[in-house]
Amino acid sequence: MNNNMEIELQQTALPNPSSNWVYEVLEPDQLSTAKQPFGRQALNRRTVILLWGLRVYVVLMVLLVALQTWNAFHSAQ
Amino acid sequence: MTQPICPEGSPADFTEEDIKRAGDRRRVHLLRNGKGGTRSLRLLWLLIGPGILVMLGENDGPSMISYAQTGASYGVGFFLPFIALTFAMAFVIQEMTVRLGAATKRGHAELIYARFGRFWGFFAMADLVFGNLLTLVTEFIAVRAGLGFFGVPPAIAVLGALLVVVAVVLTRRYWTWERITLGFAIFNLIFVPVALMAHPVSSQVVRAFFSWGPLPGGVTAGFILLVMSNIGATVTPWMLFFQQSAVVDKGLTTADIRHGRIDTAIGAVLAAIAAIATVLATAPLFAHHVDASNLEGAAFAQALVPYVGNIGATLFAIGIFEAGLVAAITISSSSAYAFGEVTGTARSLNSPLREGWLFYAVLVAAAAIAAALVLIPNAPLVLIVLLVNVIAVLAMPPAIVFLMLLVNDREIMGEHANGPMANFFGVTVTILLVLAGLIFGITTIFPHLLPS
Repeated sequence: MNNNMEIELQQTALPNPSSNWVYEVLEPDQLSTAKQPFGRQALNRRTVILLWGLRVYVVLMVLLVALQTWNAFHSAQ
Repeated sequence: MTQPICPEGSPADFTEEDIKRAGDRRRVHLLRNGKGGTRSLRLLWLLIGPGILVMLGENDGPSMISYAQTGASYGVGFFLPFIALTFAMAFVIQEMTVRLGAATKRGHAELIYARFGRFWGFFAMADLVFGNLLTLVTEFIAVRAGLGFFGVPPAIAVLGALLVVVAVVLTRRYWTWERITLGFAIFNLIFVPVALMAHPVSSQVVRAFFSWGPLPGGVTAGFILLVMSNIGATVTPWMLFFQQSAVVDKGLTTADIRHGRIDTAIGAVLAAIAAIATVLATAPLFAHHVDASNLEGAAFAQALVPYVGNIGATLFAIGIFEAGLVAAITISSSSAYAFGEVTGTARSLNSPLREGWLFYAVLVAAAAIAAALVLIPNAPLVLIVLLVNVIAVLAMPPAIVFLMLLVNDREIMGEHANGPMANFFGVTVTILLVLAGLIFGITTIFPHLLPS
């Protein structure tokens, strides 16, 4: 790395908030106060059914884990 | 809400968080535009972080104990290539979060709420919060077990780890936080020398990778539980939320996606090496018919003394402690990121305390609650550790579906949306996870289908 670049890298450790260098290196959406909200995505019927199916799957499986835990406790006693 | 800094006479409308991130980005820009033989390596050094952290972070307390149980129960055989496969699956999934974060500049929770609304967002968050709390408990179990080997009382061990979590986030600088955590995380490879001390037979290791065997005892209920635990040790919902948020907080853009992939691949390879090394380290317990079914982290280290010596056992205990500590840092961060993204408050490790106090409070509170739960006497720690990984696998399919919907959403992803190949792998991983869950469910309902 050349000396000029090294000096520039060191300068970044002491940024000057009055300059516009922040705009030059950050994309607009990277500014914490300037993010534009995204709109909602329409979910089609198949996707909604899939999401509900997976929700039921998770609930049932968690119940099974609870059952297995219960059995493990009782077999240990 | 973060306050913009608007110096007099300047059109600037940015916060302290923006300035810190811009400082990191400027170094990347200068290197990109500069010359020099080591430029690409320096650029990689600047851009790595989230991928390695998420993969080594997921080699956490319960994961390492699952791998240790695997080695002690099945020795050198089927599980070596299986673990490598699970990390390949993890890479496929985590690479999508890199693209999502870089293309949208939004965290995972923020995107789910924005694109699918509060109703579905609530479910995703419920899975995350529940899973993170349970997993954090097991991280402190690992900390307690690892330091227990050295005679450190549980309360001191847990409090000490909590103080480290607090100290690291109080740097209030993403870059510093990332580098310190990476420094801790690299100690995950401490299991490699322990594996070498166990003197694995290289021909057995090579044969295992090519033949996916042997599998002593065949397919049993215990085998299914370990399969689930090993999958849960590599792919879990918190990883999606953490890596995407970290990519955003680090400031990666679409120009950095290639480096993000390399970062994630390096993380997957390192984590797979550490995981396989753990199996090899505890394989002598299988060979000598030692019953490891009730061994915790520290007890594993004690049991290994005859095979890897005192130094090996000490390294093993340090490894268990380190695994818990690093994951406590990363998982509590993922909870805080998600909280900030959902509530619209500060969501950056670059936030100053006055603006990000709630973010930091959630992060510390998540770790503190888990730390307190660990100190409850007579808790069934081994069972909790194994079940946490199982629950992680069960919660993963809905999380991947949200991920796949987002990463295929061309309105927000543009040209970085998934291609057919990424979708094929993503759907395959989802189907495998659902099948693993169903097999687990069926064998739980009908326990006599398989030998115990």
